[in-house]
This record gives sequence, structure tokens and C-alpha cells, in this order.
Amino acid sequence: MNGIHDLGGMHGLGPVVPEKNEPVFHEPWEGRAFALFAGTFVFAGYTVDEFRHAIEKIEPAHYLESSYYEHWLHAFEEVLAKRGFVSHEELDARVEKLRAGGQ
Amino acid sequence: MLLTPDIVPVIAATGASARVAARVAPRFRVGDRIRVRNHNPPTHTRLPGYLRGKLGAIEQDYGVFVFPDTHAHGLGQKPQHCYSVRFTAREVWGPTASDRDTLRVDVFDDYMDLA
Repeated sequence: MNGIHDLGGMHGLGPVVPEKNEPVFHEPWEGRAFALFAGTFVFAGYTVDEFRHAIEKIEPAHYLESSYYEHWLHAFEEVLAKRGFVSHEELDARVEKLRAGGQ
Repeated sequence: MLLTPDIVPVIAATGASARVAARVAPRFRVGDRIRVRNHNPPTHTRLPGYLRGKLGAIEQDYGVFVFPDTHAHGLGQKPQHCYSVRFTAREVWGPTASDRDTLRVDVFDDYMDLA
């Protein structure tokens, strides 16, 4: 896919600036997102290649503005919804509940 | 398959390799000159766009791996060789690039032809 993920050789993005003493996860939710891969991969039956393609299909402007593990979350939603383990409506409802201060 | 506690450290530390035991003949040998195909599918590929049509040389044969382009779409593993291929910076980035720099990129059999 000739998409926004394929950044090699693009001009104007500035230098890569490594973070000093970078933690493995910047927020606790990133660790949970990481764990979701092994936790869902084994029962949902998707491949790492399908997972990567789900990331490539993120809307281009959003792709550039969102973090590495946000890309992962998007891919989990894609591959799990595709197989019927969760629906986009369920996810949206959960987000609304959290946004309103629910648990 | 279930995720059991004993396999979690292994998966977290190393991931799962896409190497497969299938016996598949390589299409290229170390030293062969190749040209990357104008391979531009709307589906998944591991070929970086900047290599389309470029000339390079096979530097190392890594062995046989699952082909991501088919595997991503439920079209089978299509096992094939993957190589380290050397390109000059000038071939890839044009005449303003350094004449001393080279790139090495992992390239699958299906992405290239003999030059």
C-alpha cells in the first residue's frame, strides 16, 4: 500500500530526535496495549501482516498525529471487529461512557 | 490456542518469527544484480516505495519466510526467500546523495528480477 506509513525518503519531517532515558512505556495504557497483542493474537487468529495493514489504513492525517500505541489500538479494533469479537458501536458506547466519567 | 503464562515471556521478548521450514529454491544468488519491480499494490506490502524500479545487488540470503503481501489478506503463506539487498544512496536518492553511502534493505523474491 502506497500510504502515509511509508515515510522513507520524505523531506520536511525534521530530524529523528531520540528521547533520553526513554521508558519502555510512556503511560500505563501503553503497556496494556502491548499486552493485547499476545492476548488477542492467540484466539482471534489474525496475522501480524494483517495487523500491520490495519495500521497502514489509518486515515493519513490521524496517522501522523497519533502515537505508536494509538496505531496499535486502531489495529486491534479493526481486526477484532472484523471477526465479530467486538463492534465499533460497542467501542463507541464505551468511549462515551468513559468520557462522561463512568468506569 | 491459549495464551498460557509460561509462553508470555518468550513472546514478549522475541515476538514470533516469520521464518518457515518450507524448502523453496532461491531465485537469486549473492552477487546477482537485480532491479526492483514497479510493485505498487493497494494491499499490504513490505517493499518501501522508494525502491520501486531501483537497481541493487544481492548481499545475503536470509532463508525462507512467510510472504507478507499474501499472508496479510488470507491468501496463504507463499513462502519464499528474503535477502539483504545493497543499493547505492545515489541510485535511491539521486545525484545530491553521498557517493559513498549505501543502503541495505530486506527484499523478498517476488519484489525483484535479475537486472
